[in-house]
Amino acid sequence: MTDAGVAVETLSLSLGAFRLDAVDFAAARGEILVVLGPNGSGKSVTLETIAGFHRPESGRVWIAGRDVTALPPERRKIGFVVQNFGLFPHLDVEANVALARRGGRNGSGKAALPLSGDPRALLKYFGVAHLARRRPADLSPGEKQRVALARAVAGAPDLFLFDEPFSALDAQTRGELRDELKAFLRELKIPAIFVSHDHSEALTLADKIVVLRGGVMLQSGPTAEIFQKPAAAAVARIVGVENILDGRIAATDGGIAAIAVGDRTLRALAPARFAGPGTPVRLSIRAEDVSIAAPAEASAPAPESEPARNRLDGKILGLRALGALVAIEIDCGLPLKAYLLGPQARAMKLGAGDAVTVEIAGDAIHVMTG
Amino acid sequence: MAWLIAAGSAHAGGERAAPSRPRGLYLLCWFLGSLLTAFLVVPLLALTLSQSWTGFSDVARMADVRDAIVLSLEGAFLSATLAALAGVPLAYGLARTSFPGKGVVEALIDLPLAVPHTVAGIALLMVFGRQGVLGEPLAALVGLKFWGTLAGIVVAMLFVSAPYTVNAARIGFAAVDPRLEKIARTLGLNPWRTFWRITLPLARRGIMTGVTLTYARSISEFGAVVILVYYPMTAPVKIYELFLRFGLDQAASAAVLLLFVSLGLFLILRALSRGAPERENR
Repeated sequence: MTDAGVAVETLSLSLGAFRLDAVDFAAARGEILVVLGPNGSGKSVTLETIAGFHRPESGRVWIAGRDVTALPPERRKIGFVVQNFGLFPHLDVEANVALARRGGRNGSGKAALPLSGDPRALLKYFGVAHLARRRPADLSPGEKQRVALARAVAGAPDLFLFDEPFSALDAQTRGELRDELKAFLRELKIPAIFVSHDHSEALTLADKIVVLRGGVMLQSGPTAEIFQKPAAAAVARIVGVENILDGRIAATDGGIAAIAVGDRTLRALAPARFAGPGTPVRLSIRAEDVSIAAPAEASAPAPESEPARNRLDGKILGLRALGALVAIEIDCGLPLKAYLLGPQARAMKLGAGDAVTVEIAGDAIHVMTG
Repeated sequence: MAWLIAAGSAHAGGERAAPSRPRGLYLLCWFLGSLLTAFLVVPLLALTLSQSWTGFSDVARMADVRDAIVLSLEGAFLSATLAALAGVPLAYGLARTSFPGKGVVEALIDLPLAVPHTVAGIALLMVFGRQGVLGEPLAALVGLKFWGTLAGIVVAMLFVSAPYTVNAARIGFAAVDPRLEKIARTLGLNPWRTFWRITLPLARRGIMTGVTLTYARSISEFGAVVILVYYPMTAPVKIYELFLRFGLDQAASAAVLLLFVSLGLFLILRALSRGAPERENR
C-alpha cells in the first residue's frame, strides 16, 4: 500500500470482552469510507485504532503510504472529529485552530489548499474568520463543524476520522451539515473514514461502505453494491432493507429462479453463486420497489419485456405516515412493506383491510444465500 | 375511511392542565434549609457581635496572637501546596486509569476524614515523633525535626486536609471529556502537552476548589496539631490556651480575628478559582 489513501490490513484486537476480528479495508485519496454498524459493533474502536489509541494485536495501518502501526497518535497526521465536534471549550476559536498548527508543515504536500498553517487563513477558508474570538459554547452546530474542520486541517492531516459527529443533532441540521461536510471533503481531497450507525447517513456520504457487527466485517464495497446487494440478512437489516423474507429455491430457469416463500412463489434473478433447488435463501426487497395497484387495474397482462414481474394479491394491514411517504403493511400470504408518496396514497383512497395487488420486479428481489 | 396522515397533527392544542409546581415540597425545603443556614451562621454572627472594639483591638495587638495567626497561614499555605503537588497527579491517575484495588485506594484517601483528629495526631506522633518510625531517622540524618517546628504543623495539617484536594481534583479530571484529549493528540500534542494545554485547564476549577478546601481545613485544624506540635502555637491552639488561662473574653477576641483573616482569604481564593470566565461547551 503506497498510494495517498488509507489501508487497514487484517486488524485484530481484544478490549475486555470485545474482539475486533481481522478488519480489512482501504480508501483512496479523496474517498469517503463509511464504517456502518449498530452500537457495539466495534466501529469506534476501529476508528480509534486507526488513530493510534489502541494497539492492535495483529494487522497494520497505512496512511498516505506510511506504515503508522507503531506510531503514537500525535505522529499519524490525522484530523479527528467527534460527536458535537469536540472543540476545546476553554479556548476561543482561533486558539483552537492555533493549537494544531505545525508550522505549515505538510508532509505529503498533497493538500489542494493554499494553507500556510496560519489559523486566520484557515478560518477564512472555512468562512468563520469573523468568529475568531468566540468561545465554542457560543457557536451554532454549523459553525462548530467549520471550526473543527479548520482545526483538523491545521494539523496537515493525511486522513480524516469522523466518529458520529452529527449524532446529537436534529434531523434537519444533520442533513445540512452532512451535505456541507461532503462538499468540503471533495474539495480537500483527503481520504475520510466516517463512522455511523445510520444507513441513510452512509448512503449520502459514502463512496464505500464497510459493514461491521460484533467486531466482524460482514461486507465491504461500493455504496450502491452494499445497498442493492447485501451479502447477508444481517447486512440487509443494517442498511435498512424493509423486507427480508425466508424462502427456498424451487427451480431455476436460466437467469431466473423461482423461490418458494410460504405458499407463494416469487421469481427473481438467480443468485450469482450456484444454488440448486431446495437451497434455503433469504430475499431482500426494498419497500420502494414494492408497488401497489388497485385489484382492477392489476388484471392487465404483464408486458413481455418483464418476464420476472411478480404479482401478488393481498390485504392492507395498516398505514403509517412518514413525512412525505406513507408506509403500508400488506399481507400477501407473506408480510410486505411498501412505500407510497402521500398524495399518491390519498388519491388511491387506501385503508386498512382493503384488497390490493402488489407488484415487484424480479430484479428488485435480491437473493441472499448467506 | 380514517386517514392517518392527518391524525398525526390533530392532537396538538386543546385544554391541558397548567404544570403545577410541587409547592408543598418547595416550602418544606425552604423551611428546613433556612433552619440549617441559620444554625451555621448565627453562632459566628453572635461571636462577632459579642466583641467590644477595645477588647478586640487589644488582642489584635498582642504579638503572640499575631504570630500564631501568621504561623497558621504559613502552615496552611505549605500544606495546600504539598497537597496540590502530590494530590493532583494522584487525582489524575484515579480519574483516568482503572486498576485492581482502586476502590481500596479511594477509601484509604477518605480515611483521614473519618478518623477523629486527636487519633490522627497520636498516629502521626508514632511516625513523626521523637521516637517515630520516620521522625527519629530524619532528625538524625538530615536534621528535619517534626516536634516544635513548622514541619510538624504542616504534617498534621496535610494529613487531615489532603483528601479534599484529591477528591475535588479527581472529580474535576473525571469531568474532562477524554475525547478532547484524544483530539489534542491527533493534532500533534504529545501526552505531556495535552495534559498542560487541555486537561489541566479544563480541570482547573475542581483542583482550585480542592486546594481551597485543603487550605481552609488546614487553618482550622486543632486536634492533630495540638498533639503533634504544641509549640509553636498555631492560631487555634493559641485560642485554646487563651481560653484556659484568661477565660472567654480574650479567647473570643482572638477567635474573631482568626475568623476574619481566614474567611477573607477563603473568599479571595474562591473568587480566584472561579475568576476566569469558563463556560462549558454544551
